[in-house]
Amino acid sequence: MTATPTTQTALRLAAITMSFGPIEVIKGVNLDIRAGERHAVIGPNGAGKSTLFNLISGMFAPTSGEIFLNGNSIAGLSPHLINRAGLARSFQITNIFHRMSVFENLRIGVLARHGVRYGLFRPVAGMRQVNEETAEVLARVGLESRGHDLAGDLTYSEQRALEIGMTLTTGAEVILLDEPTAGMSREETEKAIELIRTVTEGKTLLMVEHDMGVVFSLCDRVSVLVYGDIIATDTPERISANRAVQEAYLGEEAAS
Amino acid sequence: MMTMRNLLLLAVALALLVIVPPFLGLGWQNMLVNVLIASLFALAFNLLIGQAGLLSFGHAAYFGVGAFAALHLMRAIEGGLPFPTPLVPLAGAAAGLLIGLIAGYFATMRSGVYFALVTLAIAELFHSLAPQLEGVFGGESGISSMRMPWNGIVFGSMLEVYYLTLAWVLVCGLALWAYTRTPFGRLTLALRDNEQRVRFLGYSAHTAKVIIFTVSAMLTAVAGSLQAISIETANYSLFASNVSAQVVLQTFVGGSTVFFGPVIGATAFTLFSFLVSDLTRSWVFYQGLIFVLVMLYVPTGIGGVIQHHIHNRRQLDWRNMAGHYVLAFVGALLLTAGVVFLTETVAVLFGEDYAMVRHNAEGGLPPFELFGASWNPTGLLTWLLPIVLLIGGGALLIRARRRISTIWDRKGPSNATATEPLLAGGAK
Amino acid sequence: MEFAIISTLNGVTYGLLLFMVSAGLTLIFGMMGVLNFAHASFYMMGAYVAYAVSSVFGFWVGILVAPIVVGLAGMAVERFLLPRVHAHGHAHELLLTFGLALIIEELIKIFFGDFPVNYQMPAELRFSAFEVFGATYPFYRLFIGAVAVVMFAALWVLLTRTRTGIVVRAAERLPAMAEALGHNIPIVFMFVFGTGAALAGLAGAVAGAFYPTNPNMALELGVIVFVVVVVGGLGSLKGSLLASLMIGLFSSFAVGLDWSLANLLGVVGLGDWARSVGGLLTLELSSISATIPFALMLIVLLVRPAGLMGERN
Repeated sequence: MTATPTTQTALRLAAITMSFGPIEVIKGVNLDIRAGERHAVIGPNGAGKSTLFNLISGMFAPTSGEIFLNGNSIAGLSPHLINRAGLARSFQITNIFHRMSVFENLRIGVLARHGVRYGLFRPVAGMRQVNEETAEVLARVGLESRGHDLAGDLTYSEQRALEIGMTLTTGAEVILLDEPTAGMSREETEKAIELIRTVTEGKTLLMVEHDMGVVFSLCDRVSVLVYGDIIATDTPERISANRAVQEAYLGEEAAS
Repeated sequence: MMTMRNLLLLAVALALLVIVPPFLGLGWQNMLVNVLIASLFALAFNLLIGQAGLLSFGHAAYFGVGAFAALHLMRAIEGGLPFPTPLVPLAGAAAGLLIGLIAGYFATMRSGVYFALVTLAIAELFHSLAPQLEGVFGGESGISSMRMPWNGIVFGSMLEVYYLTLAWVLVCGLALWAYTRTPFGRLTLALRDNEQRVRFLGYSAHTAKVIIFTVSAMLTAVAGSLQAISIETANYSLFASNVSAQVVLQTFVGGSTVFFGPVIGATAFTLFSFLVSDLTRSWVFYQGLIFVLVMLYVPTGIGGVIQHHIHNRRQLDWRNMAGHYVLAFVGALLLTAGVVFLTETVAVLFGEDYAMVRHNAEGGLPPFELFGASWNPTGLLTWLLPIVLLIGGGALLIRARRRISTIWDRKGPSNATATEPLLAGGAK
Repeated sequence: MEFAIISTLNGVTYGLLLFMVSAGLTLIFGMMGVLNFAHASFYMMGAYVAYAVSSVFGFWVGILVAPIVVGLAGMAVERFLLPRVHAHGHAHELLLTFGLALIIEELIKIFFGDFPVNYQMPAELRFSAFEVFGATYPFYRLFIGAVAVVMFAALWVLLTRTRTGIVVRAAERLPAMAEALGHNIPIVFMFVFGTGAALAGLAGAVAGAFYPTNPNMALELGVIVFVVVVVGGLGSLKGSLLASLMIGLFSSFAVGLDWSLANLLGVVGLGDWARSVGGLLTLELSSISATIPFALMLIVLLVRPAGLMGERN
């Protein structure tokens, strides 16, 4: 789904910098993510992709610069407030509740959306709406048959699917996925692409991805991050034709 | 899920707790009161470590706060305040809530070892300040009061105190159990598993942990006030580190991963200390030994092992295993006998009484009495017996354990569910 | 003046003693992340082993044997017990050492009784070092301080000048990397644990002959040692030294001072009000000298958990 000319900006990074001590990891990134688009950030290892995600999602506060989510500044807010503002993220290293059931993993997020975050006076089993919505997400990520199993017992690709499911549960309109297909086989990757495509329908997606195949088949636009700087943002086709990008990152692989 | 069978079991236990005590002696009634209080204390403590994964080393602080708050209210009642005596633990709950909120706010700013150290420091703060504060804690001697009659109930007998304690412990225990079924109860488990992810799902981890800490402190304080009602006095030693230590021991031996585990530990320890503390001075040593052995070999505690067996009962070849379990039990028994014999022998030989005997015997090694027999300190049998017990019991236990674990490995797929943490079974 | 000099001397020697025990604790935490609750028990064990040995073979043999025995015990704990619970995380390691502390204390009660034993310094060390303002100052206090200083110097040289020390420091920072470089890290850990325990044992052997040797000494010193390592910064040797001296000086000065919050408020004219309120406000420093270290520890944990000199948070 290509962005129409009238679309708004869902997420805007304005001159973001981030330093760890004397080392500047993010060097003034400007980036507009349009509402409803699927956008990938690519770049060589150590370019700062994960740091960028951590800044947007509130793990760290940027050293300088501003981040706007639907026009509201979110830079430096704590993660839970950013999530409540409408942004959810997944993690590169699977980050789930290993000792809880798959169903419960998802329900934690659904409960947060329903505003019963610290509910102490009603059994959760009786919350029909919550449980129905959880079952729905469970079905959407294709884990219906695994609902009662421990999350820690799932296969790797199932855990990745759960990871994506968890980012959907809080109802955020802006989804950040950090290398959702990393470590998957060809076949698993195909499935994951389909999953991401369907579940992000109507939402805004920003993802870090190494696999160019995934980027091409999924994303409307691509930004290239090299050494903490975005050197180009464009459609996948034009990015792969971009000389500077080829030199900096894609190398022979893309040229061939 | 609460199955019919569990419900029935609970009802039977409840009936026993209500019906039996009037037929018991005063000592046993008193012991049961202590069991109930220790159980509630351990359950409340386990809300932190077992469910939220927060290890508090200073829960004596909230136990003590509850006791002192209750005594202050009891003194006011003595002075004429028209307040029903059975509701005195409410004062403890209120004080525990307040102190827990403040302490919890700060303690939960840290995690892991640092959290443990903050809680330890808070308890030590109470312990070192209490003897100096005459007004609140009654100085070094503490404060005392009397249970005042209410509505015709005199609260003069231990049995009345027992029923009062039972009612409060049941209500609080049920509340804690219901807690695990609420959205917040599930969030508590999520926090233990992965605090970071919880934050990215829109929850403030700090707020959540403060609430958990406060609930735990509040119910701990209720346990403290029940003790105050039962013994009608309290002093600063309630804040001592050994009070905090005791609940850690009971909880982990009973099993912190199972809801009722802490009750098992609290009951076992209180019961044993009631039974054997008159017989031996080495009781605390045995406690420490049991705790370390549990930590080393059965980290899920007694409750964890029981639960593990119940969950796998259909997959296990019981007929084949029963014999090995009996052997293991016999081995453990022999081993225990050996350890106890050795410990008690050493305790006698190095004890003051024996030093007097030796003094009278002019430095010789006269025989000593133990377990109703006379033993010669230089006799072969005295030392051979425990060694044979230790080696024989140990060999038996190791052999049986190995057999049992092969049978466990052969069983069908586990029907583990999410409520059961996947940890090494009893035989692993 | 007399009070100041004596208190300073006492404070420094006590601080150095604290350092002898806290050095091992902080080193072990820095390297392995294990907060060893049994560490002060090693101190107590040192005193009792020295007492038992010295009653047969004399004081100096006791001082020599105690750290060796305790060091071996520490190595055994690291080698045979800690690995068993390692998989369950640091909380279980901490709980295990906590149980061990309990066992050691109770064993000592069984063998030596639940009362102080008569462990005394030898007559040749029982003389006064000098006189200040007509009061004699015991030489043995200086001896405790001197042992600590020598030990610290030896440890410093070992850590900074020898190959082993460099491996230890590498292992502290990046254990996996050090192991990949071919160093036997498990042995290094065992060695560090043993050395830490031996130092505590030595401290116990030396101090036990001056301070009372009883089954409570581990608990009493243990909580203070926790304060020291936290205030100094968990894992920082230099921080521990600084904090040891601070706490040592504070404890020796506080017992003689009758300052209270009411005095302080008196400066701004609120003295009478404070005295009428009473409670915390009128407590004299001398009577809450046991409280201040914990308050300090709490403040450090909340404001700057890395401590005075610690690097990590």
